[in-house]
Amino acid sequence: MTHQVIGKTQRRLDAPGKAAGVTRYPADFNLPNQLYGRTLRTSYPHARIVNIDTSKARDLPGVVAVLTARDIPGHNRHGVLYPDAPVLADRVVLSVNDAVALVAAEDDDLAREALALIQVDYGELPAVFDPYAAMKPEAPRLKPDGNVFYHFKTRKGDVEKGFQQAKAVVEKTYSTQMIDQLFLQPEAALAYLDDRGHLTIQVATQYSHWDRLEIARALGLKANQVRVVVPAVGGAFGGREDITLQIHASLLAVKTGRPVKMTYSRQESFHAHSKRHPITMKVKTGADANGLLTALEAEIVGDSGAYSSWSPNIIRKTGVHITGPYVIPNVKVDAYAVYTNNPFTGAMRGFGAAQAPIAYESQMDALAAELGLHPFTIRWRNAFQVGSRTANGQVLTGSAGLRETMLRAAEAMGWNPEELK
Amino acid sequence: MKKRGIGMAAIFYGTGYGNGFPDTSTAFVEINDDGSANVLVGAVDVGQGSDNLFAQIAAEELGIDLTEVTVVSADTDCTTDAGTTAATRQTYTTGNAVREAARKARELLWQRAAKELQVTVEGLEAGAGRIFVKGFPDRSVAIAQICSQARLEGQRFLGVGKSMAHTVQMDPETGQGIPYWPYAFATQIAEVEVDTETGVVEVLRITAAHDVGKALNRQQVEGQIEGGVVQGVGYALLEEVELGGGKIKNPAMSAYLIPTMLDAPEIETIIVEDPEPTGPYGAKGVGEPALIPTAPAILNAIYDAIGVRITNLPATPEKILAGLWNK
Repeated sequence: MTHQVIGKTQRRLDAPGKAAGVTRYPADFNLPNQLYGRTLRTSYPHARIVNIDTSKARDLPGVVAVLTARDIPGHNRHGVLYPDAPVLADRVVLSVNDAVALVAAEDDDLAREALALIQVDYGELPAVFDPYAAMKPEAPRLKPDGNVFYHFKTRKGDVEKGFQQAKAVVEKTYSTQMIDQLFLQPEAALAYLDDRGHLTIQVATQYSHWDRLEIARALGLKANQVRVVVPAVGGAFGGREDITLQIHASLLAVKTGRPVKMTYSRQESFHAHSKRHPITMKVKTGADANGLLTALEAEIVGDSGAYSSWSPNIIRKTGVHITGPYVIPNVKVDAYAVYTNNPFTGAMRGFGAAQAPIAYESQMDALAAELGLHPFTIRWRNAFQVGSRTANGQVLTGSAGLRETMLRAAEAMGWNPEELK
Repeated sequence: MKKRGIGMAAIFYGTGYGNGFPDTSTAFVEINDDGSANVLVGAVDVGQGSDNLFAQIAAEELGIDLTEVTVVSADTDCTTDAGTTAATRQTYTTGNAVREAARKARELLWQRAAKELQVTVEGLEAGAGRIFVKGFPDRSVAIAQICSQARLEGQRFLGVGKSMAHTVQMDPETGQGIPYWPYAFATQIAEVEVDTETGVVEVLRITAAHDVGKALNRQQVEGQIEGGVVQGVGYALLEEVELGGGKIKNPAMSAYLIPTMLDAPEIETIIVEDPEPTGPYGAKGVGEPALIPTAPAILNAIYDAIGVRITNLPATPEKILAGLWNK
């Protein structure tokens, strides 16, 4: 049966509101009697918290609440994979992302003023910012189990044998940079207790049900007592996977019994959410005279920053994708996720698989040049098809339209793929 | 001097949570008195348009107009858990759940219609607000009419859908297993112009061919690809969070540059549809793959233009000039 609605261009149901500017994003919601919440973040990448004196901030007229880790009724940790990030730092700070105190005040200027009156005494600790340095035994140990907290391996065939069979072998090291998701709408939330006494929060996130669980756990509530409502979201790209202000705003609302509005500036947004992993990839690739790949060996190191977030899954994804969409009989991959005192890294569009082709596609061109082949030719000859087996042993079934994308993109660029196969 | 070059990048992308982790979505559909329908689904629409796709899927299955479907998404008091909007998974995983929920609600309605039209449920199809006898469209009933009659008799049309992506945990020593399912594929080819005096790279044109299984809404797929390409230009040439002693030195849009419309190349989007048997109508996803080939294609085009291999992102004018001097 032919489809009637599927497969065609359908006008977006949300388009009229967005085009007319009437769609409401989290920062657009307000309630009478609301307070304004602000966050005090540390400026130390690694330090002990010796003392926090909030008395001056509390005494400022118009300030309704000043909260620290001691005021959290439930579990003071959150995390998409492992709950290792503090809601409010208690004993130590591990990066400049870390929040140490919260303020709720009658207006936003007062809340900012109160932040400046909170006195935090730190004892600075040695910090490490380079993941290779952090892997060494003498590096400051950031977590009890050590700084290398994930190691992914692929072992297939015999890479030494594969390199012996190669006519050309290319070995290079590639590195990618830390970037921000830079969604256009900075974080904002409105949290309040509804008629039933349930905590409600209007916030932009990527996973409302997971946020509900993390808020409930930190506040010592049951999941049914927390309602997460997501209005229009101004982009996410992975940067709204980890909790930022959700628990903070909820905590202030519960403690004060009043609605609490929190809105980040762009600067605070940069400091609050995850970043894309900088990854270093040392890759050695071999191909025979026809351009058929014989072996690939890769060592991959990703900077996770201070918290785990999605790092194991991301570094695993780099490790799986480092072969490119190509059949390679002999593969050896070691990929590591490493803690440092940098801002934490997590999900961003591409999730570890965006870094990998910086290496593997550069390698393909370098091999093609050494063998005198066109870049299309070497890719075409090695390309995954239905029935191909990946380096992880998976046989591809169903949909594998890679070669069709090669043909179509090449034709559109004016190449003649028939001559290049 | 300005030198031009062309570079190619082909990629694969494993969608879903992967590695055996349960990747599950659920959804709820109710057909209302007048044949319109409500979809309740926990999936957050972050702007990419998942609400629209779920409305399309429900409309398609129920045979009603897109505007007759209301999607309520991501309110934890009334919607069901549909996992995270990430991993290029909402079209595939939640799309399957919405489709199943719509089909279950429809099944109940069609049992009623089958009696009315004196045919089996298998002998029915729907479209344009009517339920027809397959192969004999002259015999049909309006969905609104049969809904209101049936509801007066106390019947209700509800469906719950659940869908799960299939992966197998990899062996920790060898990495052997099924890390992802399904895979999206793409090829992008970039043409750039490099100014050898300033080191500035201008991306002139990108052809972007993406195997999405099946495009459920062509304009949305094109939008994802175009957005991904522009984001990829930023990754290749402009963006970097600069750190000093663990501190962010450029936390502002004045110091952290992303592409503007003037930096956007001419983009030719090409939709390749190699249907995925386990996806809704054959669909996979396009969210993340859209961005992935752009930066490596640009790096290869830079090499083609000036013979300098940039191995450290982003490819700033300083690095291009240093590469030219060291040649």
